[in-house]
Amino acid sequence: MIAELVLATLFGLLLLGIHRKVIARIQRRPGPPVWQEILHAAKFSFKTTWVPATASRALFIGIVLVAIGIWTAAFFVMMTGGSLLVIFGIYMLHKIVEHAFGLSSGSPYGKFGGVRSVISAASEIPLFVSVAAIALFTRSLTLSDIIAWQQVHGPLLIIAFPAAIAMYLVLLSKMPFGPFSIVEAKELVSGYKTEHFGVWRAGLEVCNGLKTTVLLATFLLLFVGQLPIWWMVIGMVIITVSLSFTCAITPMLSPFDSVTIQSLFTGLMLVYAGIVFLGVAA
Amino acid sequence: MKRSAGKLLAVGGISCGTAFALHWAGWIPLWVFAAVVVLAFPPTVLALFLWWMAGEGKEDIPFIGY
Repeated sequence: MIAELVLATLFGLLLLGIHRKVIARIQRRPGPPVWQEILHAAKFSFKTTWVPATASRALFIGIVLVAIGIWTAAFFVMMTGGSLLVIFGIYMLHKIVEHAFGLSSGSPYGKFGGVRSVISAASEIPLFVSVAAIALFTRSLTLSDIIAWQQVHGPLLIIAFPAAIAMYLVLLSKMPFGPFSIVEAKELVSGYKTEHFGVWRAGLEVCNGLKTTVLLATFLLLFVGQLPIWWMVIGMVIITVSLSFTCAITPMLSPFDSVTIQSLFTGLMLVYAGIVFLGVAA
Repeated sequence: MKRSAGKLLAVGGISCGTAFALHWAGWIPLWVFAAVVVLAFPPTVLALFLWWMAGEGKEDIPFIGY
């Protein structure tokens, strides 16, 4: 499982590299090589590192450990077919982690990034209402049960397509350079991670790699079901490329618009969950 | 700094390796193995980076714009 953990991290970084490459090619730029994010993490790990004088030392370093730790836990939950609620709980924790990243540095850019993280959490997390529809169909929120249900009834991607759309929006919200990436907007330099450089940034890259793999694999398991490993890999690449297309052709929204659009989708999902509930009850 | 990072790296690596071996042998359940890795993996990663890092610098004020 430790080898899988390391491979998942590297694969997630590779997917983020593919994401950057696809966006660049759509925008008629050469773009970086697909392994750039892996090189990025390695490069940062070699850089001279210290803690800024204005930072809270314990929080500045500790939050990097927490960031890697929570997604390591999510990886184990996903691999063992555990509860979907735990994975979503970790997703919520990640928003708090982003907030703490920003606040720990003492930099105004980091603080604004952290505040935006909380703003975006207010609209991203309600999108998890899509799990209500999944629970109504499958009568379970355990990943292994949902996978077993799909083996009998077919993929939820077809049966609960609106729920898949809502979860896709959650994925889109976590991808860099996307319409909802308000926490990393250029007017904030690098947002919540502005002051985390060197080894600390390399640790954050490890977290991002792991997070990308866990979220994409969970999406596939949730809406397509258990696939052979190579089909999982191909599926994750296809989802990444589709997300990249969306990111490349969509401008970054203002924080207000980002929250409004996500909230509108949440409203639609509530209506959908209500319809499914009435259908199931009838 | 490098020396303490090296020690932390060794402790983290041994913890993960031991937990894996004990779980593989069936002596500890999966959740114990997972708990050890969740706690040990992050400091091991940072210790590895701090151990091979090129050098140490002085503290600086953050970039606060103009």
